[in-house]
Amino acid sequence: MDQSVAIQETLTTEENCVIAVECVSLLDGVKNSRLLGLVHHNHEHAIFIYGHRRMPITGDDVTLDDILPISYDFSVVEVSSPDELAVLGADTRVRVTYLAEELELRLPFGSQARLFLSEVNRAWSDACEQYPEVKPQFDWLAKYRKVSKGARSLKKSLPSLTSRSSVMSRSKRSEKSRADDKQEQKGRDGPQESQDRSRGDVRDELIRPTQPMLSNKDQMLGMPQFGLRDNLIKCELLKNEDVYTYIQNYSFFLGTYNVNGQNAQESLSPWLGSTSNPPDFYLVGFQELDLSKEAFLFNDTPKEPEWMLAVYKGLHPDAKYALVKLVRLVGIMLLMYVKAEHAAHISEVEAECVGTGVMGRMGNKGAVALRFRFHNSDICVVNSHLAAHTEEFERRNQDFKDICRRMQFEQQDPALPPLTIMKHNVVLWLGDLNYRISDLDAEHVKDLIAKKDFESLYNHDQLKRQMDEETVFVGFTEGEIDFQPTYKYDTGSDQWDTSEKCRVPAWCDRILWRGKNVKQHHYKSHMSLKSSDHKPVSCLLEIGIKMVNEESYKRKFEEIVRYIDRLENDCIPSVSVSQSEFHFKDVKFMENQVQTVTVCNEGLVPCQFEFIQKLDEPAYCKPWLTAIPAKGFLAQGASVDIDLEVFVNHSTAPGLNSGQQQLEDILILHLERGKDYFISITGSYLPSCFGSSLSTLCLLRAPIQDMNLDTIRDLTVKSKSQASDSEPQDIPKEIRMMVDHLFRYAKKQEDLFQQPGLRTEFQEIRDCLDTGSLDTLPGSNHSVAEALLLFLEALPEPVVPFSFYQRCIESCSDSSQCRQIVSALPQCHKNVFNNLTAFIQELLKHSAHNRLDINILASVFAGLLLRSPTKQDLVEKRKAREFFQHFLVLSPSDGGLHNELCG
Amino acid sequence: MAKQYDVLFRLLLLGDSGVGKTCLLCRFTDNEFHPSHISTIGVDFKMKTLEIDGIKVRIQIWDTAGQERYQTITKQYYRRAQGIFLVYDITSERSFQHIMKWASDVDEYAPEKVQKILVGNKSDEEQKRQVATEQGNKLAKAYGMDFFETSAFTNQNITESFTRLAELVLQANKKDLDLLGGSINDEFSLADLEEQEGLCNAGDNTRKSCWC
Ligand SMILES: Nc1nc2c(ncn2[C@@H]2O[C@H](COP(=O)(O)OP(=O)(O)OP(=O)(O)O)[C@@H](O)[C@H]2O)c(=O)[nH]1
Ligand SMILES: [Mg+2]
Repeated sequence: MDQSVAIQETLTTEENCVIAVECVSLLDGVKNSRLLGLVHHNHEHAIFIYGHRRMPITGDDVTLDDILPISYDFSVVEVSSPDELAVLGADTRVRVTYLAEELELRLPFGSQARLFLSEVNRAWSDACEQYPEVKPQFDWLAKYRKVSKGARSLKKSLPSLTSRSSVMSRSKRSEKSRADDKQEQKGRDGPQESQDRSRGDVRDELIRPTQPMLSNKDQMLGMPQFGLRDNLIKCELLKNEDVYTYIQNYSFFLGTYNVNGQNAQESLSPWLGSTSNPPDFYLVGFQELDLSKEAFLFNDTPKEPEWMLAVYKGLHPDAKYALVKLVRLVGIMLLMYVKAEHAAHISEVEAECVGTGVMGRMGNKGAVALRFRFHNSDICVVNSHLAAHTEEFERRNQDFKDICRRMQFEQQDPALPPLTIMKHNVVLWLGDLNYRISDLDAEHVKDLIAKKDFESLYNHDQLKRQMDEETVFVGFTEGEIDFQPTYKYDTGSDQWDTSEKCRVPAWCDRILWRGKNVKQHHYKSHMSLKSSDHKPVSCLLEIGIKMVNEESYKRKFEEIVRYIDRLENDCIPSVSVSQSEFHFKDVKFMENQVQTVTVCNEGLVPCQFEFIQKLDEPAYCKPWLTAIPAKGFLAQGASVDIDLEVFVNHSTAPGLNSGQQQLEDILILHLERGKDYFISITGSYLPSCFGSSLSTLCLLRAPIQDMNLDTIRDLTVKSKSQASDSEPQDIPKEIRMMVDHLFRYAKKQEDLFQQPGLRTEFQEIRDCLDTGSLDTLPGSNHSVAEALLLFLEALPEPVVPFSFYQRCIESCSDSSQCRQIVSALPQCHKNVFNNLTAFIQELLKHSAHNRLDINILASVFAGLLLRSPTKQDLVEKRKAREFFQHFLVLSPSDGGLHNELCG
Repeated sequence: MAKQYDVLFRLLLLGDSGVGKTCLLCRFTDNEFHPSHISTIGVDFKMKTLEIDGIKVRIQIWDTAGQERYQTITKQYYRRAQGIFLVYDITSERSFQHIMKWASDVDEYAPEKVQKILVGNKSDEEQKRQVATEQGNKLAKAYGMDFFETSAFTNQNITESFTRLAELVLQANKKDLDLLGGSINDEFSLADLEEQEGLCNAGDNTRKSCWC
């Protein structure tokens, strides 16, 4: 049944209901049956939630309850409770959220639910893909605000389309979760907006930061994720039933008898045991079993065991029968017996009652029913006693409809919707249906009966007429009636009713069926039973039952499993990576290089990607490398350019200069619930004086890039052991060059060390120092000054080595002790220290021009010369400054420094 | 209707680049063979459902990069495996010798209870054979492993070797399964899944529903 038709009737012409599905909504533990429609308008989608009558066929049957717009804020995730393993996939419970609104829904298993969810998924990923280019509008939903009957929740959700401050009414939530929401929203806006602004990069539109999707993170919609595996298999098996089943006939004896409250004195074998062969099944129905008030009020009667025994005794003597089930509602009773050898193939037996008597509920009228599965066929048997009186045929029609509507059998899987009568392969309906003969008086009727002209009489039968008009028992068949009316006789005789009322004889007691492969062998009444005012009726049917061919079942089953495995494998997130190896050539200190890798989602599902950490490593990549963005979301078919940026700074340079580390890394691009891809990064680093140690540099007489890497490595080792054959320089020529340059040209430079240099000039200065290509340094004074600071910052061992740090801090207030410490520094460190202090003192002499003072210079240099091996706090910073300031006040012993600088 | 499967576990394919790991997996899950070698650069997986002793077993088979430079990284995947295929190429003596290294890595990085089998692939290439069947047998015996010569090309021994390893894993975990009461092994697959989550976001122990 396609319910989107009903929904469509409530929509405007521009709106289209893509697909609809019935579901159960859970709100505060209360279950409600709802109809969901996915409605499409221009580029936008929304889920319309309807309340509905049982079988929504037209627009009148549904009432709009709520609307959830599918924007990027929308999410639908599978709910798995702890005691229900999602992998076992019993049912589909999903939680739908839009902003602060949250709703839990249970979708019945089957392809419809699957399809619905994947359509919703598609709509959602479209919305995500367009965001933020296309801002969601949803103004077409505004008109529904007035229409909606239960506007309670709708009112809240519609304004929230424009303002985010919606208060949720549908479901209670704790304060905590509300707080989480806020945080989540902050997370949504914050990083994303700032990123968009700062990068101003168009390509970001396709990827979204992971945060907004957190709730969806491990639960991206995709068919297999819905744990529907078992249900998928069930569906497929059902679809292919013909392949592995064949039909085999079984005989069903159906009997109905209105016993008018009499006792079971007579033997029932003339009725039940009348067939030549023992039937496979007996389905025997009684009405008016007990007319007492007690039975009516308490639904308890001694007649039940009495008649049950009578039936048992009356069964065909040539077979052994087992009672499968007995069900009774006041006087309406149904018994099912089966040949003992078939019992093992009967399963899923359920019994239900529906009263249609007084107040539409009481059990004096109504029906009892049994459902069961025999081999692969589902069979439902109904015994009903419909409303009495000749003129009440419409009431009887109504009873029939009520019974069909209200009779519901729970399924074994509680997640599945209850089964109704018509959902069965075969329906057998018997009982005192109470339809009478119309338009003929008693004499006329009796006359026709006497002539055995049942055909003429049958044309006046109300049931026949109603069935011809298709007002009742649509789709049912009844065999030809070749017996005289079974009502009403004087009890104990075959005499028509002689009471005052003198009822017109009628075929009250009837047996009908619905379904394929049913053949009738007999349909008759049993005149010899005389204790009631009705005669019993029986009908022998041969019903084709679907039998499973184990071998082809197994084959089909395996085929389906293979098919689903494949489906599942196809739905594993997967992408293509434009290149898996990147080489960065001639990487230099403080000069970034960028290359781009393009990742394209070629799979069938949206995916979430992220670079993940390797075992035993603190981050997903080495510190000189970054990937931007390092995580994100890719809709189907979308792609993202990821920038791989290599940047060597003061902390990574030393290892690379000394050759202890290489530019080598492998990134793992991980897809949530999917594959991993490796991207290998290599590079050649050009060694630089920046990031080399003072002692090594002292040993290098030529520019560092003229040396081969092994020599540098050797020298690094040597300088550590202090064993060198050639005489080292006093201070590294690179420092000398920078300091001399500044001394010569920048003494009077205003704001020296205060104003930043230019990145490009720094690169020229660096190259000049590393290659010795020029005799004088290029660039402005500020750039050279900054280069000097960067040089000091990049030293692996600061000018005051780490091992001296603690002592310096401790004795910072004592000038002579400070000097003592400095005099104990390793030679080249001491030289550099003195050289720099002398230079700074010189700068101070020109403070009128350069506007520098002790405080400024001490705070610039102290932190570079005297670096903490750990993190420096404010107190230590102050102490370091104090330490260094001792060396900036001129003292007699400093006289010779000027010479040193000029020499 | 009964549940369609009861257990879920993970098998891993290891071996030098080019021995045919990806082809073995493709043959087993899709019954396809690709003659060209597109080296796996990363870690890939596929699902397959088997029935072993009446138990529905869903296996997740991981195909790893065989290239040497990725070996330090692929090691981190070992600890998630319950079963491992050590694959060499019978036309490559070198790939056979490297089995020793692969095996010792497995000892170091894989869980103790992990089940292993030795696979000599490309058995169809008899004329180019460099490793005698007997050599494979001997090595397998030394390691106490089962041994199969397979061909992803002709489909020889493919189902057999995968089923065998699955059986071994099932047996090795039989005690846990039985403890949980025969047919229902929810805990088993659950534990497994948790572990899976754990690897991808280390330290994140919140259980998420599994998609598979
Ligand atoms: N003749 C023959 N060729 C095979 C067989 N299995 C694989 N090959 C070929 O061997 C080559 C390598 O196969 P792959 O499966 O890609 O190798 P791999 O082990 O996955 O390699 P990496 O991904 O680099 O670790 C391909 O050209 C295959 O066609 C086989 O059984 N017989
Ligand atoms: Mg491969």
